[in-house]
Amino acid sequence: MLHKFGSAAIVAALIGIGSAAQAADCPIKLGAILPVSGPMGQVGERIAETGLFAVEQFNEAGGVLGCPVEYVLRDTQGQSTVGVDAAKSLVDLDGVQALIGAVSSGVSLPVLTSVAVPSKVVQVSCCSSSESFTALAEEGKTDGYWFRTYATNRSQSAIGAKLTVDSGFKKTAVIYVNTDFGVGLANRFEQDIAKLGGSITSMVAYNESQQSYRAEVTKALEGNPDSLYLVAFPVDGATITREWLALGGTDNLIVNNSLRSDDYFQAVGSKFLQNLQGYDSAQPRLPSVDSFNEMFEARFDSPPNGPGLHSVFDAVTVVLLAMEAAGEITGEGIRDNIRLVTSPDGAEVYPGPEGIARAKELLAEGKAIRYVGATGALAFDENGDVQAPKMTWRLDGDANVETGYLSTAEVAELIKMLDE
Amino acid sequence: MIGLVSYIVFFLILSLIFGVAVLGLNLQWGFTGLFNAGVAGFTAIGAYTMAILTGPARDAVFGGFELPFVVGLIGAMIASGIGAVLVGLATLKLRHEYLAVATFGIAVTIQLVCLNWEYLTGGTLGLIGIPNPSKAWADGPLAQNALYLLVVVVVVGLTFAALERIVKSPWGRMLKAVREDDVAAASLGKSPERVRLEAFVLGCMIMGLSGALYVSFIGYVSPWDFLPIVTFQIWTMLIVGGSANNRGALLGALIVWGVWTMSGFVISRVVPSEIQAQGGAMQAVLIGVILVAMLLIRPRGLIGEELHVSRHARS
Repeated sequence: MLHKFGSAAIVAALIGIGSAAQAADCPIKLGAILPVSGPMGQVGERIAETGLFAVEQFNEAGGVLGCPVEYVLRDTQGQSTVGVDAAKSLVDLDGVQALIGAVSSGVSLPVLTSVAVPSKVVQVSCCSSSESFTALAEEGKTDGYWFRTYATNRSQSAIGAKLTVDSGFKKTAVIYVNTDFGVGLANRFEQDIAKLGGSITSMVAYNESQQSYRAEVTKALEGNPDSLYLVAFPVDGATITREWLALGGTDNLIVNNSLRSDDYFQAVGSKFLQNLQGYDSAQPRLPSVDSFNEMFEARFDSPPNGPGLHSVFDAVTVVLLAMEAAGEITGEGIRDNIRLVTSPDGAEVYPGPEGIARAKELLAEGKAIRYVGATGALAFDENGDVQAPKMTWRLDGDANVETGYLSTAEVAELIKMLDE
Repeated sequence: MIGLVSYIVFFLILSLIFGVAVLGLNLQWGFTGLFNAGVAGFTAIGAYTMAILTGPARDAVFGGFELPFVVGLIGAMIASGIGAVLVGLATLKLRHEYLAVATFGIAVTIQLVCLNWEYLTGGTLGLIGIPNPSKAWADGPLAQNALYLLVVVVVVGLTFAALERIVKSPWGRMLKAVREDDVAAASLGKSPERVRLEAFVLGCMIMGLSGALYVSFIGYVSPWDFLPIVTFQIWTMLIVGGSANNRGALLGALIVWGVWTMSGFVISRVVPSEIQAQGGAMQAVLIGVILVAMLLIRPRGLIGEELHVSRHARS
């Protein structure tokens, strides 16, 4: 009798556990597909560690819906087939409802089209810059499951074109790096500058890591441009600029943010660059960014310098906040709540365990929040893209001086005007 | 449980698509002894042809003919075949490692053309929105993938049956004769150059077919899908499975792709999350160790070549 009673109690207890587990299956898994080996391995490893750091912060604040979050990392090896398989395995075998990654667009896009969208799983990338994602979203083929915390090229070309026209340049040559990043940016620039009343004399793509770019520069010099828009990275950018100036090109240069680097200025010589202007994502001077930087240094003993670190931290945090807001762990729930936790008129919350705890309180009260994170306040548009505030700069002697600032709202307005 | 089935279906689709390319390579290396190190290049030609023929129309990019899936498959084979004729005429005088270096260079060239010829390939942005025929016929990811698996199985089955028949035909015996001793084959009145070219073209057409199946399944193609690592993977599949045996080629595709992916799964389960960022290196080591161990245990591959005595001699 006692024996029977005992087993009935165990059964009752098991049912109890079962129903508790139904509310939220602990631990909640978050999938990450990142290139921690292969050509992008160095970059990917730090991104992966920062993603884990974001999860740890959330767990310190009590996790999601009372459950600890488990971060399941899979390596893409920088290969689309491996990345696609890893994503499918995370979704089907681990049951994740959100994927963080990948880094290169050539991996993120196959994952999105063949795994995330059909399986109704949210995918948030820290680093993929290709315009193809926006095109896909505009065609309605992402069903809203795609987000990225990397500020898109869209605003960069807009501000570049505005800077060019505002400086009074009429005929601009464009030299750009032949990657999805460079091509997307240059093509948008061509459209934007036409809208603003400037014109393009030539569009010249260059392939990375060549000894000389004489052929490209010669081609770009055709048609007597009065200015050059250069989308490049420091080493190749310096080679191109030296050859451009040596062959008699104008020193009215407009450069992409990746050339705002001392390596570039020194390699060319600052004295030749006194008519150079550029733009950059303005690191929003917000307490949230500083506090992230401090927490990061405390954890890793080094400052968060490197591509994708700030943006992956925000990608993870936004997804986990959206899970909390949804009250259930489904891809649809996360998708529909991402904008609720980044809503422009919500109460502001910051990174770190206290910030997360406060966010959870506010969400429990049913209030909208605005996560202001390591990259500042995120605002996703309908295509899942974010914009960042922008600044313009020029060189004065060796010093890099700010010449203008556009807030996120002003950037959005400029883009709206250009897209009409 | 459904998750497991769904994953296995997905896994089989990818590994059988690899399997098709391995069958093509097997015809070249296994049966004819041609060292083609440019597999990725010929799958790329097939993949882009499929994307251009069946994909939606785009501004500023050629193609978008929205033709049916089967037309895309046939077109992909034809385009890869034409590419192979051109490459073959230029390079097949080269033997062994010289051919390998030449074809490797050609594959890199093809990848760079894909990267730079924006009007044809979309350049670095790739081509999006390539239709997957199963999406029109079934609802839900599992049903769609199961249907696509069926399509892939049919294609693999037809390719396998055709190749089995070909290599057992007089022409197939000629391939082996050329592989073993082309002077002896020439002395019997055969033309080794011609036989090599035929085998090369046919093998490359099958690789193109593999590329076409891949893009329809994924719905997207970019130059980053055809890096030299793909050629390496397909070679590994053939060597592990057993060259000069079509069953071995398919088995190799399943086993090697299984090792490649399951090692990642195991690492993500076993390694604590604090050091998972280092797991990538462990996975690479694990893949290497398993492949080396297999080759040590079965140097001629899991199923090597079956030795034949002419059926005329037997009777």
